[in-house]
Amino acid sequence: MKVGLRLILSPESMIKEEAGETRPVFLAQCFMKKLFLALTVLVLSCSVVFAGGSTEAASGEDDGQYKVALIIENTIDDRGWCQSMHEGILGAMEQLPGKILYEYSERMTTVDSESIARQYIADGFDLIIAHGAQYKNMVSDLAAEFPDVSFAFGTSSDIVGDNVFTYMPESEETGYLSGIMAGLLTKTNNIGFVGPVDSGDAARYARGFILGVQDVNPEASINVAFTGSFSDYVRSGELATTQIMAGADVLTGASQQAIGALRACAEYPDVLWLGQDLAQLDTPEGQAKCVAASAYNYTAVVVGLINSLDEGVKGGVCIPMNFNNDGFVFDYNPALSSVVTDEIRAKVDEALSAFKAAPGVLSNWADVQL
Amino acid sequence: MNIIINILAMTVPFSVALLLASIGEMFNQRSGVFNLGCEGIMAMGAFIGMLIPFSIGGGGAVAAGWNYLGLLLAAVIGALMGLFFGLIVVTFRAPQGIAGIGLQMFGVGTAGTLFRHFVGGTQSIPGLSSNPIPLLSDIPVIGEILFSHNIVVYLAFLFVPVAWYILMKTSWGLEVRAVGTYPRAADSMGINVNRIRYEALALGGALAGLAGAYLSVCQIKMFSDDLIAGRGFIAVALVYFGHWKPVRIMLGALLFSFTQTIQYNVQGLGINIPYEFFVMLPYVVVIVVLAFTSRNQTTSPAALGKPFNREIRT
Repeated sequence: MKVGLRLILSPESMIKEEAGETRPVFLAQCFMKKLFLALTVLVLSCSVVFAGGSTEAASGEDDGQYKVALIIENTIDDRGWCQSMHEGILGAMEQLPGKILYEYSERMTTVDSESIARQYIADGFDLIIAHGAQYKNMVSDLAAEFPDVSFAFGTSSDIVGDNVFTYMPESEETGYLSGIMAGLLTKTNNIGFVGPVDSGDAARYARGFILGVQDVNPEASINVAFTGSFSDYVRSGELATTQIMAGADVLTGASQQAIGALRACAEYPDVLWLGQDLAQLDTPEGQAKCVAASAYNYTAVVVGLINSLDEGVKGGVCIPMNFNNDGFVFDYNPALSSVVTDEIRAKVDEALSAFKAAPGVLSNWADVQL
Repeated sequence: MNIIINILAMTVPFSVALLLASIGEMFNQRSGVFNLGCEGIMAMGAFIGMLIPFSIGGGGAVAAGWNYLGLLLAAVIGALMGLFFGLIVVTFRAPQGIAGIGLQMFGVGTAGTLFRHFVGGTQSIPGLSSNPIPLLSDIPVIGEILFSHNIVVYLAFLFVPVAWYILMKTSWGLEVRAVGTYPRAADSMGINVNRIRYEALALGGALAGLAGAYLSVCQIKMFSDDLIAGRGFIAVALVYFGHWKPVRIMLGALLFSFTQTIQYNVQGLGINIPYEFFVMLPYVVVIVVLAFTSRNQTTSPAALGKPFNREIRT
């Protein structure tokens, strides 16, 4: 036993051992080591917990309120996908005062999302919005287990349960508007598209964009490429730079990763950008480069969900988002109004009128080959 | 011809973050410590790097000196994180793999938390602009590829021979290699193994912090929670790819970025191949090259990953 102790003691303690002080020194070392490791684990755990995002109540609880939870993979201020839903819920709270008690959880990976969703269920939440198609399996499983709780996720048009709403932005419409402008703004006839992955609303936006360009400028070539990530800003910036170096003078992009591409555009004086989120206009580079932007109006979706709950409908419905049902909004950047010609405005107004008059105008979007 | 020049001209700046981080990781591993927390250090470096010019200019233009101060402080923070890692794995002899993953989570989480507190949402800065070298940048082809970038790019590539010299020609480099190869022999020769490992971790951390700041201050000129996006782990892989030799690591970083830039370009050519194939191409190339070159890893530090305890004879 004593030999064993010697092997893990320092020379200093071995000297002390001869003076009969070994045991306390050894125990003190063990204690300090364990204390340090415990503190390290605590600090690391705290950092992970904080990185998971904050959760806050947005209003006081009251009878007749619906407790709504939002689960997102990024943050509420990502100037893209997650921010638009967060602002949509805040907008719904303004439209339906006192009706919604709202909490949110950020940076929830698909794996982590189930535990936080179960926490919300345990806390009595009525509606859990998991904002992303990647949450489909989690939502499907929990919806079957908790039939009294309503869930929503998107983008998807699948009906996965009687207590699950889905929403599907028909982004070919916003893409088409961007495409019209890109086709008429380009001077090099070389246009870039920086996408995350070829699926969901990004795929629809890309194909609508191509249709828009081809309708006004069949000569233009469109360089469509994907980063493979929704949140790799560096890669989207690199991809945009590559396209600009190859001659593109008008670019667009989808999802929050497009911010990186917009930032790359700001490095080149003759390059313009068309946004997929109005939040991009609030950035310095957006003010300088983003001619116009469309955005999802999730307020209409959330208000629709609350109204459905009021009517006793807990799910089983897919809510399309388009200009016809005010699921999209569109706006120009006043700082760049000089580059928007009358021809561009006329074409955009014409398309917008058609979209607002009826849904499904671009039903051929899926036929577009990238 | 133009497309080739463009690809090469972009390969150089795109490779710098990987180059700096992997050279730093090389010093770590040469001393016998592999630091999987490189990603976390890069995240902290990226945050600190952009925080300084952002705090001064509020997202607007600032004097270049503030950007350089951001880069410097990022290196300092990286060095401190390297020393913190040393405390865990050198002094307390915790398993290096687990501790590295912990440091990665700590760095990414802390950077994100501090960013939300001090900055808010995804935020851009003007950052450092390019400094084409007079006369040299006017040389056809070569000028655009090599001499039309920002100053950190030049310094990063100039550091490669410096790193080789430090490692192979200085007494400190010899001590680093000794403690990474046979620490007991080094210890018997009077070399303080722990001190050398601390120093190597500080240097490696400084370079990783600088690599992160390069992304946020020089390349993308913004910060977001997921800015590093796995580049720290790629840097660790590049050290193995480069057989712990600075020049080969540089070639690995260039190869990865070159393949990445090629796939960016090829995607737009309309070739009827799923884009996912192009996206994974850089990783496949690195794995294939690694597989073909890993049979002769004579330079692998023999004590890599093994804690040193002078009271235990191994």
